[in-house]
Amino acid sequence: MVNPGYRHFKGEDWVDPTPPPASLPAVEEVGSTRAPLNSASYFIGSVCSEYNEDFMLCKNESRSPEHCLLEGRKVTRCAIDVLQKIQANCRDQFRAHWQCLDANNQEFAQCRAPEKTYNRCLFAALGWKKAIPDAPADRSLVYE
Amino acid sequence: MPFPFESVIPFGIMSVMFVATGAGIQYAQNKRNEGKRPCYSLDDWDRKMMDRDQRLTGTLRGQADDPIAPPEFKVNSVWKVYESLRNG
Repeated sequence: MVNPGYRHFKGEDWVDPTPPPASLPAVEEVGSTRAPLNSASYFIGSVCSEYNEDFMLCKNESRSPEHCLLEGRKVTRCAIDVLQKIQANCRDQFRAHWQCLDANNQEFAQCRAPEKTYNRCLFAALGWKKAIPDAPADRSLVYE
Repeated sequence: MPFPFESVIPFGIMSVMFVATGAGIQYAQNKRNEGKRPCYSLDDWDRKMMDRDQRLTGTLRGQADDPIAPPEFKVNSVWKVYESLRNG
């Protein structure tokens, strides 16, 4: 991928192997790829909403990477926590749903059947309901 | 009048060419996507997520669902730089 305006300059991929400085608190990174993250996205959004909003407002103040390290750590830890809870409670339905998403270009509309069992399992085990923000309340939900 | 079989040969050649093209495209797409159907309508978000997947699993379509990433993931980020930036 070439950045616009630099078409005549040869670009290359560069990996920086230095670890983050020891003065920063250690945080684990989220290890899920895009299909499991898409599958858990609505639950991460509802459970971690305050940390996510804090991070977005902090980024709004300044785009410097150092400014929002604390809020970023909270977001990462919350997402890891949600994924661990899903794995502990509903691992098979979760796997079925994200494998279906992976086979269908990450489209939720193609995977309603695994999604129903997955949502029911999560609601029974953890009480989490999938909620689309700003959805009209009088219409019936297609994923129920 | 007997059936002119010579006229069927070009049609046969054309059909074989179509079949060969289709089979070749299927084979190439399978190799590229590890047996899954190809993704379409990818925007910049999807491409960058696939790059992240490659850093996590080694291939563009490989998936993993562990909550915590392996420790190599912290230090294998790729920056796209230009030689003038890196050397001076």
